[in-house]
Amino acid sequence: MADSPPDPDSNGDTGAGSGSGPTNGTPRWVYAFGIIALVLALLFAALHLTGHGLGGHTP
Amino acid sequence: MTTMTPPVRKFALTAHVTSSVGWLGAVAAFLALAVAGLTSQDPQVVRAAYLAMELTAWFVIVPLSLASLVTGLVQSLGTTWGLFRHYWVLIKLVMTILATLALLVHMRPISYMALVAATTTIARADHRGVRVQLVATAGAALLVLLVATTLGVFKPRGITPYGRRKQNDQRTSP
Repeated sequence: MADSPPDPDSNGDTGAGSGSGPTNGTPRWVYAFGIIALVLALLFAALHLTGHGLGGHTP
Repeated sequence: MTTMTPPVRKFALTAHVTSSVGWLGAVAAFLALAVAGLTSQDPQVVRAAYLAMELTAWFVIVPLSLASLVTGLVQSLGTTWGLFRHYWVLIKLVMTILATLALLVHMRPISYMALVAATTTIARADHRGVRVQLVATAGAALLVLLVATTLGVFKPRGITPYGRRKQNDQRTSP
């Protein structure tokens, strides 16, 4: 949903949310997002590998 | 890549928002059917739920997911947002690709349950694993799509190393 380009002459929307960390370097929300995604992926993989998944696919 | 003109950009945005939010709504309806199929005591409701789930998945969810992916690519590449310049765009792209792939993988159990529902009466304990799986994956898909929608609305700040290089190139070029 990239509704407006971040260039200054578009309509003033720089696309930058507020309070999301520093502008230089990787913002904190990206690290938090990555950690949560990694935990969920590991949980999903562990459930499948240990056979405690959600019942498996079709017989 | 050249940027789109404002009318074309608005048209592309309308197509992207419509397909993305439509996908979210269709998955919510799919989840309601999956829960009804798993928990209902009425065999007719269970049968109807799994037949409707297959139709919804093939003719609404799959087309909308592909449309959302394609229109998202057009939106990113056709504007100065770019595809790899902002973390929120990149994360949303990865989530959309993974959600689309997961959907295509799960079309098999959906079609399987529809076939079972069309040919036999499903008792409460029958095919319980697959039926629970359909509820869980629909719930997970709904969560992923809600997060993707939130990213698209809030556009949290953060430029990737590639985006920073591009910015620097633009500043230094005449």
